[in-house]
Amino acid sequence: MKARVDFHIHSCLSPCATLEMSPRTIVARAKVAKLDCIALTDHGCAENLPAFHDACIEANMPCLYGLEATSSEEVHTLCLFDQLEPALEWGRIIYDSIQNFPNDPDRFGLQPIVTVDGDVTGFAEKLLFAATDISFFDLVPMALEAGALCIPSHIDREYLGAVSQLGFLPDLPYDAVEVVSKIPPNAKKWAIIQSSDAHQPDHIGRRFTRIETEHFTVPALRDAFKRHRKP
Amino acid sequence: MKVSELNSVGFCCVQNKFEDAEITGGYTSDLLSDVMGNLKDGQVLITIQAHKNTIAVASLSGALAVIFCHGRSVTPDVLEAAADEGIALFSTSDNQFDATVTLAHSLR
Ligand SMILES: [Zn+2]
Ligand SMILES: [Zn+2]
Repeated sequence: MKARVDFHIHSCLSPCATLEMSPRTIVARAKVAKLDCIALTDHGCAENLPAFHDACIEANMPCLYGLEATSSEEVHTLCLFDQLEPALEWGRIIYDSIQNFPNDPDRFGLQPIVTVDGDVTGFAEKLLFAATDISFFDLVPMALEAGALCIPSHIDREYLGAVSQLGFLPDLPYDAVEVVSKIPPNAKKWAIIQSSDAHQPDHIGRRFTRIETEHFTVPALRDAFKRHRKP
Repeated sequence: MKVSELNSVGFCCVQNKFEDAEITGGYTSDLLSDVMGNLKDGQVLITIQAHKNTIAVASLSGALAVIFCHGRSVTPDVLEAAADEGIALFSTSDNQFDATVTLAHSLR
């Protein structure tokens, strides 16, 4: 099938996202946007993935379990799993390696961990967009080793992407690269994806990727991305 | 030197809802994790990182103003966040080195 996928969505756990971004709201908006598969990718923390899992199951929405990791150079990178458990495990590794800087909710926003019903069970304590102490050059092989699809985020942005932070796109075995608008000249050897990077409900699906795949598993998507590359 | 005087040394004010306090110094960095640890109360941040998190980090550190270098575009959400926090924003086509030299000269 030719699927419409959006693999970059933030929930209320991300300090910069609106509190309306509950897992159920995300799934409902994804249905409206006629998406066939979505991923939740909060900054540096996987703790809203269980509620997201429940919301996707009840709505029969295919999904991936992800997060957006921040390397020590402040390069944002999407890590996407097809199973909840390894995503949670990866989330703990990333959260533990974030610089120890407490969140100030008044300035950065709340970071609530919620259930599928929207009940708040706690708050992530560290500021989630702070950098980890893992270099991008280590982060990519670590994510792949953990079983994730690894996709550098918004590589063409003036900030927090591989090109802006490192000066160039290193030649590493990414599954794809995410572009917002303009494909950097040396990025053509990887599959290009677009995603919404939604931080509020009406942004979900504002950008998405059409991809030919029968399954939304890591191996199937990895193959699909290989075929998706422009010649 | 007061924040408003940054205009007279060539920095272009793009967000003017701020308290016109005395500048105590400056900090130049493009790595937010470094800014978080080192930017101090009363200082001006010089950077090319023109996004919302920069404003939050500047405000948390008690900085008075941010100067965005290289003519980086400042989006409405950044302007709004800075107005909310009372952080003055300036823009310049200079690079970080030249902007730092200008500010240092003005302060000494
Ligand atoms: Zn990002
Ligand atoms: Zn994001």
